[in-house]
Amino acid sequence: MTAAAPTVSGGTQSSRDGAVLFRAQGLHKSFGGVRAVRDISLAIPMGSVFAIIGPNGAGKSTLLNLMSGVYQPDAGKMRLDEIDMIGVPAHRRVRYGLARTFQKIRLFKQLSVLDNVVAGFHTHHNIFAWQYVLHGAAFQRDHARCRDEAMGLLAFVGLEKRAQVLAGSLSYGEQRMLEIARALATGPRLLMVDEPAAGLNAAEVDTLLDRIGVLRQRGITVVVVEHNMDLVMKVADRILVMDYGQYLFEGSPVEVQANPAVIAAYLGADFQ
Amino acid sequence: MQRQTTVMRAVLNSRLFWLIVAAVAIGLMPIIFTDSYWRTNLIVCAINVMLAIGLDFILGYAGQLNLGQSAFYGIGAYVSTLLIMKLGVPFWIAFGCGVLLSGIAGMLLSLFAVRLRGHYLAIASLGFAVITYQILVNWISLTQGPLGIYAIPPPPALQLPGLPIIDFKNLANLFYLTAGFAFLAYLLLDQLVRSPIGETLTAIREDEVSAASLGINCQAWKVFAFAVGSSVAGAAGCFYASFVGTLVPDAFFITESFTILAMVIVGGMGTLIGPVWGAILLTVLPELLRGVGDLRLIIYGVAVTLVVLFMPGGMVQAARFIAAYFRSLLPGRGAGA
Repeated sequence: MTAAAPTVSGGTQSSRDGAVLFRAQGLHKSFGGVRAVRDISLAIPMGSVFAIIGPNGAGKSTLLNLMSGVYQPDAGKMRLDEIDMIGVPAHRRVRYGLARTFQKIRLFKQLSVLDNVVAGFHTHHNIFAWQYVLHGAAFQRDHARCRDEAMGLLAFVGLEKRAQVLAGSLSYGEQRMLEIARALATGPRLLMVDEPAAGLNAAEVDTLLDRIGVLRQRGITVVVVEHNMDLVMKVADRILVMDYGQYLFEGSPVEVQANPAVIAAYLGADFQ
Repeated sequence: MQRQTTVMRAVLNSRLFWLIVAAVAIGLMPIIFTDSYWRTNLIVCAINVMLAIGLDFILGYAGQLNLGQSAFYGIGAYVSTLLIMKLGVPFWIAFGCGVLLSGIAGMLLSLFAVRLRGHYLAIASLGFAVITYQILVNWISLTQGPLGIYAIPPPPALQLPGLPIIDFKNLANLFYLTAGFAFLAYLLLDQLVRSPIGETLTAIREDEVSAASLGINCQAWKVFAFAVGSSVAGAAGCFYASFVGTLVPDAFFITESFTILAMVIVGGMGTLIGPVWGAILLTVLPELLRGVGDLRLIIYGVAVTLVVLFMPGGMVQAARFIAAYFRSLLPGRGAGA
């Protein structure tokens, strides 16, 4: 095993490229006897696409849940832009610029596609409290702005024609894209997508790759949790490889592909 | 022809039009029903409408299965009545206190129960209703227990400039007062659910983890929903006490919670107009069925069961079906559109 030796080196290496947006050190999380995440450290450079990969059950989703605040870690440190994230509940992390999608799609299925995105503007309504009861001009402006921006986001993911249908009636791939649009409505600096390509056909994967590229150009840092290797190699600037909840390797796509420990984890140790 | 249809559709879709229709209907009711038996029922309808829309805000929008509505109803009734009877507090101040304390009770219950969901919240809120009922029964020095409080005066007569004195001993006037407040409560809740608050509460109802990932503080918003919904129930309680003139704890037994729940479900959860119709139907129907004696309970039970089984969207869903059918008959539109 490569054990925990190079955990911190990953951080220093990537900070060379620029400022670090999100930094975690020594994260631990256990569920009963299962140690889902063990001593994970990472540093996500601002403006990069950072992938977290690993075989099924490697703890990728748990790590994402720790980063987004669904779970609190048993031990470790987390900082977003030098703001301590430990103990900060999920809903407040959104105000600091963290947004996410879910591996198991969690849309508001009984609401329209448009309303799903509009709900994402929760932290961005700038109207006085009394306007919630007496809807004045400012309320109407806010209402129109949210719908306009939501339509813009739907156009970005290619769902503008489906705005009025129920979210539950979308195809699987469309639902994944809608989750991304909804997360973008919160105005994130760091967008975390959990297995965005699962269940997508080849054409949809291409669109997804393209959209992630555009987000990166717009300055949004993207974390992709994925086990589709092709997608990760095409889109990621840096890759963290996990196995059995532990750090296995971190580096560029080329380094990851050449690393014997990664190959062993994916293809079995006998391959060597 | 085509333009007429368009104008008509615009009118039928405008909220203002329907609010005016509702106001006119409220105004006409005591003129149509002149005997005190039906006027009494009209007032009970208005009170039940408040209870049902208050619960719908909590259950239909925020998705929290609250079975404590009878307790908030009772707290509003007892707090206002005790202030009037024991301390001589003016009616409207007592009314305000009743509403406020019911709201606070709702907040306290939700603060304790905020981590509970579904059936667990239902049990906790039902427990709250049982405890409140038991307190009303057993705190005899304050509430006079099952003996009840008698001779509660109606709201004081209103003296508005340029108008004759409005005396609330008159059932028609008392109906206008309660129905007016039910109308106001409806307007308030309707404005709230049409604002981003409606979007927020619905998001919580649909998926809490997802809602939190959009920055929604689910626990705080659930407390808010409970505070609003229970305040409206408290207002209903104040009017109930001053209308009936007698308070006994049995009026706020837990079965009342289930009756209110039935009104919301039969009318249509998650819309505000549905529970209004549900409350009216489930108030009037048992009265209409009085002629058939004990059979009425069976008919009532069967009706509710059928709605739940075959029309989960309640009366609102049925109305939409019928409206869609008639729309398909309109000229100039494709059949079955």
